[in-house]
Amino acid sequence: MNEHVIHRVRDLPSAHLLGAGTAMCAGCGGLGALHQVYDVLGEKTVFVNAAGCMTLLANYPFTPFKGSWLYTAMASAPAGAQGVRDALDVLLAQGRLPPAEDLAPVVLTGDGSAYGMGLSATSAAIERGLDFLYLCYDNEGYGNTGQQSSGATPHAARTATSAGGRGHPGFKKDLFAIWAAHAPAYVATVIGAEPLDLARKVETAIGLKGPRLILALAPCPTGWDFEPAALVDVGRLAVNTGIFPLKEYRDGRITHTRIPRPRLPVEAYLSTQGRFAHLFSPRRDDAAIAAIQAQVDRYWQGVA
Amino acid sequence: MYRIRFHGRGGQGMKTASCILGDAFFAEGFEVQDAPRYGAERRGAPIFAYVRADRAAINERGIIARPDLVVVADDTLVTVPAAAVLQGVGARTVLLICSNDDAATWTARLKRDCRVLTLPAPAAPEAGQAQAGVGALCAGAAAALVGVIGRAALERAVAAELAAHGAPVVARNTAQALAAYDALAAHQGLVSAGGAVDAGARAPVDWIDLAAEDAAAAAPDIHATATSLKAATGLWRVMRPVIDHAHCHKCSWICSTLCPDSAIAVDADHAPRIDYDHCKGCLVCVAVCPSHAIRAIPERGAAGAVP
Ligand SMILES: Cc1ncc(C[n+]2csc(CCOP(=O)(O)OP(=O)(O)O)c2C)c(N)n1
Ligand code: SF4
Ligand code: SF4
Ligand code: SF4
Ligand SMILES: [Mg+2]
Repeated sequence: MNEHVIHRVRDLPSAHLLGAGTAMCAGCGGLGALHQVYDVLGEKTVFVNAAGCMTLLANYPFTPFKGSWLYTAMASAPAGAQGVRDALDVLLAQGRLPPAEDLAPVVLTGDGSAYGMGLSATSAAIERGLDFLYLCYDNEGYGNTGQQSSGATPHAARTATSAGGRGHPGFKKDLFAIWAAHAPAYVATVIGAEPLDLARKVETAIGLKGPRLILALAPCPTGWDFEPAALVDVGRLAVNTGIFPLKEYRDGRITHTRIPRPRLPVEAYLSTQGRFAHLFSPRRDDAAIAAIQAQVDRYWQGVA
Repeated sequence: MYRIRFHGRGGQGMKTASCILGDAFFAEGFEVQDAPRYGAERRGAPIFAYVRADRAAINERGIIARPDLVVVADDTLVTVPAAAVLQGVGARTVLLICSNDDAATWTARLKRDCRVLTLPAPAAPEAGQAQAGVGALCAGAAAALVGVIGRAALERAVAAELAAHGAPVVARNTAQALAAYDALAAHQGLVSAGGAVDAGARAPVDWIDLAAEDAAAAAPDIHATATSLKAATGLWRVMRPVIDHAHCHKCSWICSTLCPDSAIAVDADHAPRIDYDHCKGCLVCVAVCPSHAIRAIPERGAAGAVP
């Protein structure tokens, strides 16, 4: 049995659902992922969006979506999705909404919500078995307010709140593992730079019921300090250096959908971004680079 | 009070310009306000920042409606309504435009009685290169035109504002600021401080009473979809991607899928088409096309571009 319609790149949609004309930065990796995800999800979606860059998508009376969009506080998007799901279920039960017109609630938040402020509401929604899709575009910081550090900021990255010579002292939380520990229906990591992998995972997610997370690494030219044109290069390097593993969780099992061979050294990725520039100049910080490499090596040793 | 507005595109350093000028005014003993306007502070998008400076406490707030000086870093913004470059520009306003057209050309073009000056436009970036910041240049030019800021105060302000970026950046920007300051030496003091605005003398607002409407009328639903298409983000573009259809092998998905802005559609015959009304000029498509069939040309002067 093969549940996929998308087998090859030729099967990717070439007409795009998401409208142009949004206020996202030129070369925004989050928008790039969203437009690809939306093409697969289709029009029958209600986006429930917590405060962040993507809030600027639907700026009344403008919207890039073909359907509804709901704005919530940063901590509450999964609760908003619960409300939407409940309302739809009531309408369906009362026969006021034909089943063919049912909609899918899709939570859309940045990492600030997904890894931090919204984690409690997320955990509770998974616990209740809410039938929803969560799309997190992870730009590894509070992008909309000027890239302060968040629970998703990687070690050593310079942010507005970690501007010293060593960058962010903390380590990126493992949101994939946090979700997987709840044993939800589906968890997957994706990136816009790998459209086929992304489309197949979104397809899989649509076919399942219950809580599902699509976690998209979202290279952010503005917050990470790289040229917008390098968006896809930066994304591919995140995958090929093993820093961002492409994987999925389903039925209690984790599968890596791409094992980078050969795995490039992490500095190939780090050196593309101004937020890591202090690791290379004025003096190369070999110890810090080696520590990041060691962490990535340790991860992949565990994958085998 | 001096009221100064800097207009540019996101990434050109207008906020930096306002910070440097504010610092320099402060060093000369002025009370100062400097701030960027809150909005779509996106690279390439029209943005502005403003500075107020006075010997006395400043009680005025908000966007500057009647500027004494307007500095325009990118002349393609002058005709963009959303940029509001000419808002409140009157006979006593000095308008400094970074442009390769001269002041006489702009005076004739704008048909305004304001005083127009020009500085040479910054060069367009090479494909894949960062757009050069001109914040220090604009601050240096403004410092000269107000005539109350010394060269030393300007130099210290650049160093103070950009210290975090390291010595080479400070050196480059200091040179930029001082060159602009010196280039406008003949116009020292051309800009005069505007008078106080008496809040009490303001014409009262014509209030309109709005009845508490039914929600359906007060917050109408939008039933149209993808209304974002009404926003012309093509105006953000500094560089324009151009497809060479002779070299495109019609892979039909790479540029179209990877364009983050959904600005490339694929025709029935598999040929990609760029939507220039919305393409923001990120040049991702140029970087990803495997047959190198898309190149970047400067927007300035490109066919059909503004002006
Ligand atoms: C409770 C709360 N705190 C702070 C803010 C201000 N705020 C608006 S957007 C934002 C950043 C959100 O970061 P993230 O979720 O990562 O999204 P991004 O901006 O990166 O897209 C913040 C802090 C808010 N809206 N609500
Ligand atoms: S700041 Fe980053 S995430 Fe936010 S719109 Fe800009 S590129 Fe996208
Ligand atoms: S990526 Fe290049 S070859 Fe493929 S459709 Fe676009 S322009 Fe043509
Ligand atoms: S430059 Fe290319 S990739 Fe970027 S918005 Fe324009 S068409 Fe899309
Ligand atoms: Mg974020």
